[in-house]
Amino acid sequence: MIPTHRAQELATALLEAAGAAGSDQAEALVVASDDALTRFAGNRIHQNVASTDTELQLRVVVGQQVGVASTNATDAAGIAACAASAVDAARRAPADPDFPGLPGPRPVVPIDRVSAGTLTFDASARADAVAALIAPTSLAGGIAAGGIACQHSLIAIANSLGVSVAMPRTSLRATVLSTGAAGGTGWASFTNKDAATLDAVGLGAFAADTAHRSAGAVDLAPGDYTVLLAPEAVADIAQFLAWYGCSAKSVEEGRSFMSGNVGQRVVSELITLVDDALAPEATGMTFDYEGQPKQRVVLIDRGVVIGPVTDSYWAAKTGRPNTGHALPAPNSEGPLPLDVEIAAGDADPAAMIASVKRGIYVTRFHYVNIEDPSRQTLTGMTRDGTFLIENGELTRPVRDLRFTQSSIDALSTTLAVSRERALVGEEAPVMVPYLLLEKFAITGQKSRQI
Amino acid sequence: MSEVRCAVRATATRRGPTTDSGAHVNGFCQECLDAAVAAGASYADVRVTDTTTQSLSVRNGVVEGVQGRTSVGFGVRVIADGAWGFASSSDLSAQSASRIGREAVAIARASARVAAPPVELAAVRAARATWSGLCAIDPFTVSTDDKLSVLLAADAAMRAVKGVALTTGSMEFLKGRKTFASTEGAYIEQDWCESSAGITAYAIDQGEVMSRSYPNSHGGAGFQGGWETIAALDLPAEAPRIAEQAVALLTAPVCPGETTTLILDATQLSLQVHESVGHPTELDRVLGDEAAFAGTSWVGAGDIGKLTYGSDIVNVTADATITGSLGSFGFDDEGVPAQREHLVRDGILTGFLSSRESAAATGRTSSGAMRADGWNRIPLVRMTTVSLEPGSAGTLEDLIADTDHGVYMETNDSWSIDDKRLNFQFGCQIAWEIRKGKLGRMLRDPDYTGITPLFWGSCDAICSESEWSVHGLGNCGKGEPMQIAHVAHGAAPARFRNVQVGVGR
Repeated sequence: MIPTHRAQELATALLEAAGAAGSDQAEALVVASDDALTRFAGNRIHQNVASTDTELQLRVVVGQQVGVASTNATDAAGIAACAASAVDAARRAPADPDFPGLPGPRPVVPIDRVSAGTLTFDASARADAVAALIAPTSLAGGIAAGGIACQHSLIAIANSLGVSVAMPRTSLRATVLSTGAAGGTGWASFTNKDAATLDAVGLGAFAADTAHRSAGAVDLAPGDYTVLLAPEAVADIAQFLAWYGCSAKSVEEGRSFMSGNVGQRVVSELITLVDDALAPEATGMTFDYEGQPKQRVVLIDRGVVIGPVTDSYWAAKTGRPNTGHALPAPNSEGPLPLDVEIAAGDADPAAMIASVKRGIYVTRFHYVNIEDPSRQTLTGMTRDGTFLIENGELTRPVRDLRFTQSSIDALSTTLAVSRERALVGEEAPVMVPYLLLEKFAITGQKSRQI
Repeated sequence: MSEVRCAVRATATRRGPTTDSGAHVNGFCQECLDAAVAAGASYADVRVTDTTTQSLSVRNGVVEGVQGRTSVGFGVRVIADGAWGFASSSDLSAQSASRIGREAVAIARASARVAAPPVELAAVRAARATWSGLCAIDPFTVSTDDKLSVLLAADAAMRAVKGVALTTGSMEFLKGRKTFASTEGAYIEQDWCESSAGITAYAIDQGEVMSRSYPNSHGGAGFQGGWETIAALDLPAEAPRIAEQAVALLTAPVCPGETTTLILDATQLSLQVHESVGHPTELDRVLGDEAAFAGTSWVGAGDIGKLTYGSDIVNVTADATITGSLGSFGFDDEGVPAQREHLVRDGILTGFLSSRESAAATGRTSSGAMRADGWNRIPLVRMTTVSLEPGSAGTLEDLIADTDHGVYMETNDSWSIDDKRLNFQFGCQIAWEIRKGKLGRMLRDPDYTGITPLFWGSCDAICSESEWSVHGLGNCGKGEPMQIAHVAHGAAPARFRNVQVGVGR
């Protein structure tokens, strides 16, 4: 991957080329990456890939006309062609009277999110870790699948008003799906900037144990159940809330659960939803794709809607402060929170189980999709560790269940939030606790093998 | 580096056999292969891919984005010590060719430390060929002004309907060229063009959001072809209809919960085929290679010729040769020629979508379904044009007239299916009740759920060929890192009995 100073040189060259091509303002984005992924299935490595790339993007402004072009040709000819294409696009685009111009420079908090342990985690190290992930399952006669992804990335942003920021990052994500000899499945995952913190043996053992306990799953009738959602499952709910409901754009257009509800309590007072790229456990950039500093934004405070995130366009359009949540231009989503967390509570997961007379423990969901954005009605399946809770104890495994449930309604019935939280996900991981929800609609179940 | 890059670019609009510029690519590919073999590869292939895209979007009468993008690079895939390795780069210099070839072998050797029996590939004739997709009017020769004028006209027509709160429209164009070479002697050049467009009207009131799209949701319809495919859609002409429907949905009753007869339009049926037939018959899923991410399949590798997938009128084909379909090509990304075969014949499973490796593992030949979404991704088993073949039920009007009581649904809104592709649930944008052979009241928030073989087993009527059409789908996600494939599905409206609709109500 190119070094930071080279990325900044490319950004400068893009701005100069844009000026020469006739832009009034310009913004350069340089994204460089070294990606590697080792995937395994059937107890063997079956895919093992690496990629190196440098992408250049230029947003140019001519009056109030905006155009964007991108390329991965980093030589002078490629940069000049990119600039000409962006200026041509801007001149073809009708003026947007609401476009406020590019933002100026603001101080950005520098945080080191590069880990030497990840930089040196090469194909051999990944193979060793994969062997450790597989071992507990294979020793028990089962089959393991999963992957270890390592990323070293660099983002540099500069604009003609003086913005100039850059930040390299590293990340690692390991996953393991264990299928036991008796057919039960179990899952575990791990996300961190530092590959050296991966406990592959422990992760593999957790998944294998869950698979063992999942064998012999039983049927369960549809209906409303009390559920204890583990962090992997809570992550899906948090991400749909954030992506479909917490953008100033979706709020302004009336498509969000926040629309018309700012200042109103919409979920339990046990729920606080925050976006905070500066948190120690966060893995994201400390600035957005306009080079503006990311602010800590409280989206929901103890059940009450506070407000969405913004970028320069939607801040100007709605009269809100710019919270620094722009995505690369152009995008149809508007600003989005990418470092979401649900605040920790005071409960212990074991005590949460003990408090349930009859309910369901969910390890994770599968293939969740949204049916109604304004009510956050989601449907999806449970997977890889669904258990009955009976009289305060995890008892029998349950065959995978389909749910169809408004997460706003479900979070309104929150009974407890755990102290313990986990970082879940890859592209925009979320920090989330266990949630005990009194009412959750189960609407179907995976069929027995036909 | 620039010499090779320019050579690749220079050939981007050319159709036909290799010329001088192609010789540069040929030499570059050979350097990659030579480096891999010298490092110890027993098999290697290389793909050099060059794509140019343009995307345009409008929203509420404002041009939201005009963007051009070019990307060029190459990937080397090898087998060394019996295991797979892959490395890729956007640096097309000779030094990079050698370095990436060696890196791919080093990665393969790491794979071999946790490997099963050595990888075997089903045999394929090493082709030396060129192929070009259909494109009558190169969309990159059509001015941005002309494209935007169509989108803005459609947008204005939607906003002219009272009660419409939000309108969106988009177009996307892609021109690609790729060169494939292998140590078995294959050398294949292909170029193609894709065009897609769609519009959506939203009516929003007191937390209720109703949307209607044309010609399809999720970005519209996609074609392998040029501007002529977009012009034929006539977006402005259809805009008032969908806008009026979106507004009407706000006051329509909710689709009630019941078990009833369901008729699906061809667009929703296309996605139903995609999720509940296409993905489950991908042989890599069947063999467990996607278990940890997308899942496996309810279908077993030994089920060919034995498994009842649906009723005896259900016939599903995989066809990479349909002119103008997003699922078509000359050769897949392993150099296997495009093919057509039945996945389901008369309701019985008869085939799989496969690769050379998965086919060899099951004693078959590759169906030619390996596709990568760019130079930096390995090919995976993907759909081509996976279609429900037409039946004999006449027109949609005939089918409705033949139905006493039920629901007719159009246009996908949401989708979800379990990891074995058994339990699914789909939401649609709009529905109408069917009463005594006629469409009745419009219904909002329609959805339905089912179990794959039971659902297809309940199919008792499929409309005739006159109602059959191919629908391009540009957002099929699979694999890690996630790859987005452009695939297609042919379908005609069809009827299903005893389906649960209005889930949870």
